[in-house]
Amino acid sequence: MASLEPFKNVHLLNQSNQLLGLYTIIRDKNTKRPDFIFYADRIIRLLVEEGLNHLPVMPTTVETHTMQKFEGVSFLGKICGVSIIRAGESMEQGLRDCCRSVRIGKILIQRDEETALPKLFYEKLPQDIADRYVFLLDPMLATGGSAIMATEVLIKRGVKPERISFLNLICCEEGIEAYRARFPDIRIITGAIDKGLDENKYLVPGLGDFGDRYYCI
Amino acid sequence: MLVNQGTQAEAEMSSATSPSKKQNRTNSSNVRPLVNDTASGSHYSPPWITPYIIGVGGTSGSGKTSVAAKIVSSINTPWTVLISLDNFYKPLSAEDHSKAFRNEYDFDEPKALDMDLAYECLLALKEGKKVTMPVYSFVHHNRVPDKNICIYGASVVVFEGIYALYEERMSSLMDLKIYVDADLDICLARRLSRDIISRGRDLESCITQWERFVKPNAEKFVKPTMKNADVIFPSISDNSIATKMLIGHIKSKLQQKSQDHIEYLVELGHKSLPLDNLETIHQLEQTNQVASLKTMVLDRSLDRDGFVFYFDRIATILVSKALDWIPASKCSRPVITSYGHELENAIDVNFDKVTAINIVRSGDCFMTSLRKAIPNISIGKLLIQSDSQTGEPQLHCELLPNNIDSGFEQVLLMDAQIISGAAIIMAIQVLIDHGVELSKIKVIVYLATETGIRRIINAFQNRIVIYAGEIVSEKAMADGKCNWARVRFIDSRYFGCD
Repeated sequence: MASLEPFKNVHLLNQSNQLLGLYTIIRDKNTKRPDFIFYADRIIRLLVEEGLNHLPVMPTTVETHTMQKFEGVSFLGKICGVSIIRAGESMEQGLRDCCRSVRIGKILIQRDEETALPKLFYEKLPQDIADRYVFLLDPMLATGGSAIMATEVLIKRGVKPERISFLNLICCEEGIEAYRARFPDIRIITGAIDKGLDENKYLVPGLGDFGDRYYCI
Repeated sequence: MLVNQGTQAEAEMSSATSPSKKQNRTNSSNVRPLVNDTASGSHYSPPWITPYIIGVGGTSGSGKTSVAAKIVSSINTPWTVLISLDNFYKPLSAEDHSKAFRNEYDFDEPKALDMDLAYECLLALKEGKKVTMPVYSFVHHNRVPDKNICIYGASVVVFEGIYALYEERMSSLMDLKIYVDADLDICLARRLSRDIISRGRDLESCITQWERFVKPNAEKFVKPTMKNADVIFPSISDNSIATKMLIGHIKSKLQQKSQDHIEYLVELGHKSLPLDNLETIHQLEQTNQVASLKTMVLDRSLDRDGFVFYFDRIATILVSKALDWIPASKCSRPVITSYGHELENAIDVNFDKVTAINIVRSGDCFMTSLRKAIPNISIGKLLIQSDSQTGEPQLHCELLPNNIDSGFEQVLLMDAQIISGAAIIMAIQVLIDHGVELSKIKVIVYLATETGIRRIINAFQNRIVIYAGEIVSEKAMADGKCNWARVRFIDSRYFGCD
């Protein structure tokens, strides 16, 4: 899939009827939680698959059961997931389903209501994360505040920006711009680019609070 | 704040001490001090029950705000919360409102403040409850609609305002009462520069306000509160020695508090009674399958694929066991099977009434098994870590379903391992503080030490139901044969990072 102009390094899933149908279900406020989880999981799976499509491979020759040589490819390098607690954890299973027993780091960032700024509470990452391709998992990219903070943690730990893929279900232009201004080399893989943000900095039309809808309501 | 410094609050607690910390967190909800009485059934008192409350009073312009800020920054922990009495100004009537804009409303007399609400909030904080306070806007002279400050889990509260020491009922809740004293001419000078430079007011209105309201009220109401103070703090240009002494005193008090907390937790493990006969404690029967799964989980040569797979298997068995006696009712409607027979004894079980609260990150190892048992189970999270020096458990973050107090019949508290028991005890207390009844809480743990389990039993008078995959006896621990139960390894292996 081509990079989406004018957003370099932003990869938008093919807006097929199927995908638009899935998004319509999860955006509908009348969708109950079991359905929300099921259809969100389906989209997440597509995002993970798309993320994997961008990983580099190297030529490998295997021998088939008919003793013929097959010139194939194999993945180059190791991956890991890093989820932003709590909503990002909803994307872990999708990653695990594709990459068995993948290592998963976690970062907890909360908005400090007094300063309205994101604040880092917790990080637990694979020791060798600097050598890995990282899938950063957070379903919504609105202002980009917590994603930027989480990415800074990754960069500080030595992860190369070009090895990070940020997977989200919904983003918007402001969020993309803010994020790309800091990390132009990081790939953003998304399924929907919304119109923008409302006065509360929520995505429009968005889908509400992803973590609440997935885990609580 | 420090990140990643603490380990999950489960390393054995050492006896060293450091300042106690507890954290405030904010989010918006309705204006009311909330949560019903928590005392029933809990012997445990976390640092946010009876927080150390410091009152800072003094006339307007005396410098109390900067003293309060200095205290907060010197204690330097996120568990310290600064509350300004300014938030408790009463909403103004339309008439008073226009007076306020003409600078004719007296904001400096005690009755401008909603002291009843301020008292309620302070009392609720003292009792460790979750408290929601209004936010006042000086621009609009009114409470900011839909905006509140929500505080839970603070272990140090600094309460600052001209009338902080005005009422006996409030000062009786304070552990330390500070009156910041400055000559009124200094106060006036400070007010003038603040109001004119920072707030863009004109000199004349400032002086009028001072003479008409601020000064008379200061003489009449504020100055006399000096006699309620433990400490009279000089507001002079160099008060660094006084500050140092004050901070030193506060820190030693907090250290004592932290040490008491740790000692209490240690003490909890010492009372002995045989676990086998307790109806609240359920251990997985050591069948061949259970024993072989345990062997694999403990085998360091098992690769991570295998570890995740087999931990998920044993976790699923455990979760399913814990759900065996989920509340059920007789079906109100007849249940007809596909060949038209009516089912006798049809039972309704409402799996939506179960929520799981995971202790980050160890409880997250149960995510897969929980969702196999109840695909759309509600999930909450608690981040509790132990202080890197003292081992004192600290609550960093709580993300709980909004209706946790009434929406569920079962609240499963998930943790892969219990070692000292400190984190799980704190987690249970957090649930109680949020209105969850003790009888609804079930602790689910794969690997626990007997000492940890004992502490839970003693802290909550044996009223918490515990499902454990295995409880390692004190004797086995003492013999040194089960050192694997002393370290957190399950979540490290499960997620592939230490």
